[in-house]
Amino acid sequence: MARGFKKRQGRYVARLDAVERGLVVGLMEQVRDLVQPADTTPDAEDGDEFDRIVAGLGGVGMGVSLAADDQVQVGGGVPAPRDPALDRIFPTANRQDDQVAAEFRQLTEEGLRARKTRNLDTAIAALGHLEDQKVTLDHDQAVALVVALTDVRLVLGERLGLRQDDDLDLIEEQVSSLEEDDPAVYALAVYDFLTWLQETLAHALLP
Amino acid sequence: MPSALSVTVSVAPVEQESVAADAATEPDVPWITLVWNDPVNLMSYVTFVFQTYFGYSKAKAERLMMDVHTKGRAVVSTGARERMETDTEALQGYGLWATFQKDT
Repeated sequence: MARGFKKRQGRYVARLDAVERGLVVGLMEQVRDLVQPADTTPDAEDGDEFDRIVAGLGGVGMGVSLAADDQVQVGGGVPAPRDPALDRIFPTANRQDDQVAAEFRQLTEEGLRARKTRNLDTAIAALGHLEDQKVTLDHDQAVALVVALTDVRLVLGERLGLRQDDDLDLIEEQVSSLEEDDPAVYALAVYDFLTWLQETLAHALLP
Repeated sequence: MPSALSVTVSVAPVEQESVAADAATEPDVPWITLVWNDPVNLMSYVTFVFQTYFGYSKAKAERLMMDVHTKGRAVVSTGARERMETDTEALQGYGLWATFQKDT
């Protein structure tokens, strides 16, 4: 049974079993593949590099796939120009002036991608650091993980269709009528688990 | 900010540069950084980011977080355009839905 993060003598300690750690790490790896700078991905010179980034990711994340190709397509056939999860992670930064927003994106997106990739690397490594069977993080690792959990929840939230504050309640209601082994039931349970874990870590980190 | 100060500052090279970069921008009009409500980010996390990145007090960070939550958005910083772009980039790095614009 997982126990959330608590601050203990300047360190951030949680009890997560191997399955739980594997779940979180698998999802963080998928998000890292999604956000990493384009020039670090193979075969980026032609076509849609994003399709190749997500190709072959299916199995990671304990059955929850964040890959765009694995999401249910509505009105198929027309390829989306950009994964909506990327628009959430790198949102349009100026709502009054498209030109200003485009310039900002051009100036910042590669740097933000590199920063998020490094942060996810740190968080993935940190989750492997066990002391006495407990995840034990220093402050920098804890910050990396709380930010990484945000990125994972943003992508998973986008895949689940969370757009407004009430949507989680609506989705929970819809999912309650589904079979237990329905992927949506599992995805929602994973989302709730990540929310709980991040909440404990954010509280522990508050100065 | 007193207008006399703006006159003084406007002769500085930095100010000239920013005016030249965007001729349509009146130097006296400040820019703002906004954070918008979203269904994913936790209240505790948003408060943590405001305290950590801006160094705001707990009371101020919580007030801004509640504004985001209840009003849908909050102005989290005000100043020169370049500074607001820096704040927006940093807050997007934290996963917040941050934008910047000219104050109106």
